[in-house]
Amino acid sequence: MSPTRAAARLAMPLVPSDPDVADPATMPRQKAMIRNVDFFYDRFQALKNINLPLHDKRVTAFIGPSGCGKSTLLRILNRIYELYPGQRATGEVLVDGENILAPGVDLNLLRARIGMVFQKPTPFPMSIYDNIAFGIRLYERLPHSELDDRVESALRRAALWDEVRDKLRQSGLSLSGGQQQRLCIARAVAVQPEILLLDEPASALDPLSTQRIEELIAELKADYCIAIVTHNMQQAARSSDYTAFMYIGELIEFDETERIFTHPKEKHTEDYITGRFG
Amino acid sequence: MDIYIRRRIANGVVMTLSVAATAFGLLWLVLVLWTLMENGVAAITPALFSQMTPPPGSAGGLLNAIFGSVVMTLIATLIGTPTGILAGTFLAEYSRGSRFGEVVRFINDILLSAPSIIVGLFVYELLVVHMGHFSAWAGAVALAIIVIPVVVRTTEDMLNLVPNALREAAAALGSPKWKVIVMVSYRAAIQGMVTGVMLAVARIAGETAPLLFTALNNQFWSTDLNSPMANLPVVIFQFAMSPYADWQVLAWGGALLITLTVLFLNIGARMLATWSTFKQ
Amino acid sequence: MTEKFGALAPIYGTLVSSAIAMLVGIPVAFGVAVFITEICPLWLKRPLATMIELLAAIPSIIYGIWGLFVFAPFVQQYIQPAIIDTLGQVPGIGALFAGPPLGIGVLTAGFILAVMVLPFISSIMRDVFETVPAILKESAYGLGATRSEVVRQIVLPYTRAGVVGGIMLGLGRALGETMAVTFVIGNAHRISASILQPGTTISASLANEFTEAFGDLYRSSLIALGFILFIITFVVLAIAKLMLLRLQKQAGG
Repeated sequence: MSPTRAAARLAMPLVPSDPDVADPATMPRQKAMIRNVDFFYDRFQALKNINLPLHDKRVTAFIGPSGCGKSTLLRILNRIYELYPGQRATGEVLVDGENILAPGVDLNLLRARIGMVFQKPTPFPMSIYDNIAFGIRLYERLPHSELDDRVESALRRAALWDEVRDKLRQSGLSLSGGQQQRLCIARAVAVQPEILLLDEPASALDPLSTQRIEELIAELKADYCIAIVTHNMQQAARSSDYTAFMYIGELIEFDETERIFTHPKEKHTEDYITGRFG
Repeated sequence: MDIYIRRRIANGVVMTLSVAATAFGLLWLVLVLWTLMENGVAAITPALFSQMTPPPGSAGGLLNAIFGSVVMTLIATLIGTPTGILAGTFLAEYSRGSRFGEVVRFINDILLSAPSIIVGLFVYELLVVHMGHFSAWAGAVALAIIVIPVVVRTTEDMLNLVPNALREAAAALGSPKWKVIVMVSYRAAIQGMVTGVMLAVARIAGETAPLLFTALNNQFWSTDLNSPMANLPVVIFQFAMSPYADWQVLAWGGALLITLTVLFLNIGARMLATWSTFKQ
Repeated sequence: MTEKFGALAPIYGTLVSSAIAMLVGIPVAFGVAVFITEICPLWLKRPLATMIELLAAIPSIIYGIWGLFVFAPFVQQYIQPAIIDTLGQVPGIGALFAGPPLGIGVLTAGFILAVMVLPFISSIMRDVFETVPAILKESAYGLGATRSEVVRQIVLPYTRAGVVGGIMLGLGRALGETMAVTFVIGNAHRISASILQPGTTISASLANEFTEAFGDLYRSSLIALGFILFIITFVVLAIAKLMLLRLQKQAGG
C-alpha cells in the first residue's frame, strides 16, 4: 500500500475498508457461528446470550467500552479461558459446523486451528527463529530446509522477514515493540491456522507500528477469518468488514462496518460511536 | 497423528510424575510425624515433666532439660529479637538503595542458611574458650546468632510492605523520622514482625548443633547460667544414640515435645499471617 | 587413637551425601513445584504448600532419630538387599553398591538429606514459577502446546536463574546439615567405594568428636575442618544469592 493511500485512510476514519481486498462478488462464507453463549467468572455473568457469525476471509471487529466483555468473547473462541478454574462458557460455538465448546473437543488441536495474538507482545525467551519454529515443531517433524522455508514464509506474511533475515539467531526480545508484535503474528500464522484472534494487537504500540499492523491485517484477511478486539473505533472502522458493538456483556448491534458507522440501528450504538460515552 | 500421540503421552507422564513427587514428599511428612507420635506418646507421663534426667537403667524425666531449653530459648529470643528488629529497620528505613545496605542484606541472607554447627564452633572459640568452661550463656548466645538473621529478614520484608503513603502522611504532619517508624511503620507491620519472631523461635527450639559445644549438657538440675545446662536436643542426642531402652523412650518423648512445639509455632505463625492480611 | 587427622574422609562424605541429596531432591522438588503451580486446584494450593514447608520446619534431630530407629532398619531389611542383588551385580558400577547391608551409611544419609532439602528448593522454584507472566504462558497454550511443553520450554528457561539459585540454596543446606546425618551415617573415618557403607561428613565428625577431642592438635584439626565447611557453604550460598538477585532484576526490569 502506498504511503499516500495510507495517509488518506487515516484522514477519513469513517470510510469502509478497502474494497479491493474483499471481493464483493463472492458471498462471504460463515466460518464460525456463536450461538446463545453465556460466560461466567464464578458466579458473575460476563456475557449474556451472544449470537453472531464470523465470516471467512473477512475481519470482524468487537468494539465497546471497557468491561463490556469483548475480550472475554474473543477468548471463548480458542477456549483459552479453560486455563483458569471458575471460568466457564455455555452455549455453542460452531466452527465449520462443529461445536468447539463440546466436552470432547481436544483443546491443543483446537488451538492450533485458531491462533491468538495478545495485547502486549509476548516473544518467548528464545531466538527469533525458534519463536516461529516453536509452534511448527509441536506438530510436525520437518527436515531442516523445510523448516527454514516455513519460518521464512511466516516472517514474510508478517512483513518482518526483511528486517530480521540476518539476525534469526538473536533473541526475540532484542526487537522493538512493533517488531515483537509482528513476530507474535508470524508465530501464530506459522502453524497455518484457520481463524486468527487479535486482542487489541496494537494498543501497546506507537502510531507508526499500529499503522503497519493494520496494513498487515488487511493483507492477512485474504487467507484467514479474523476477529479483532479494539477499543479504538477508528481502527475498527478502517480495518474491519463487520462490527459487533457490545455493552455490559450483551451484543447490542452487529452489522457490516459501513452500516454501523454511518447508520447505526440502535441509539446506544450511535451514542458510543459519536463519543457520547465510552 | 504420531507426533501428537507422543506429545500427549509425554504430557501425561510429566503430570503424573509431578503428582507422584508431591505424594512422595507428603508421604515422608506423614511417616515421620506418625512414628514420632507412635514412639513418643509412651513417654508422655507426668514423670516426664517432674523428674530429672536419670542415669541409665533407672526411671526419670526430662525436667532439667525442658527447663534448660526454655531458659536458653528465652534468653536467645530476648537478645536476638531487638537486635534483629533494629537491623531490619535499618535495612528497610535508612538504607534504601545504599551499597552498604545491599552488603548487609547479602551477608544476612547467607547467615540465614549457614550451618548451625559452624555457629556453635564460632561461639565456642569466642566465649567458651575465653570463659574457660561451657555455660548456658554461651548456648543462649549461639541460639541468638541463629535468631537474628530470621528476624532481620522478616522485619525488613514486613516494613517494606508498609505503603509509602502512610509514611508520607505522618511526615507531612511534622513527625520526626524515628517517630514515623515507631508509631506508624511498626504498628502497620506488627503482625508480620510477631510472625517472624515466632518462626525464629520455632527454628531454634530444635537446634542441637549450636548447643553441643556451648551449653553442653548437665545431668542434674541447675539454674546456674554460668555452667553447662541441660537442654532437650542434646539430651535427645545422647539418649537416642545410647543402647539403653529407657533412655531411648525418653529420647522419643523429648522429640515429640520439640516437634509439637515447633509445629504449633509454625502453624500459629502462618495463621496469624493470613489472619492479618484477611483483616486488611 | 591414631594421630591421623586427615580431612579427606569427612570432605568426601560431605560431598557424596550432598550429591545424593541433590540427585533425589531436585527432581522431587521440581515435581512438587510444577504440581502446586500448574495442576493443583485453587483450594488445595495453600494447605499443600504449608504441608510441604512443614517438612522444612521439622528439626534436624527429629529426622536423625527417625532415621536411626525407623528408616535405617527398613533400608537394611528391604532396600539395601534389593540394591545389592540388582545394581550390585552389574559389572563396573557394582562396586558402588557393594557390601553388607547395614542400614546406616552414606546412601541413607543422602536420602534423608534429600527429604530435608526438597522443601527449600521447591519453595523457591514455586516462587519463581509464579513470576512468569500469564500472558506469556497463554501465548504458548494458544499455539496448542501441552502443559508439560509450556513448563519445559517456556517456564523453565524464563526462570532459569532462579531455579539454579534455589538448587544452590538446597545444596548449601545439605552440605551443612549436622544432626540428621550424624545419626545415620555411621561415623566411620574412611572412604569406601560403596555408598552403602558408613562414612562421615564434616559436620558429623565435628558433632561426634569435638567434645571428646583431647589434645590441641585434634581440636585444631577439627576446627580447621569446620573452617573448610564454612568456606564451602559460604561460596555455595553466595552463588545462590547472586542468581536469585539476577532473577529479581529480570522480573522487575
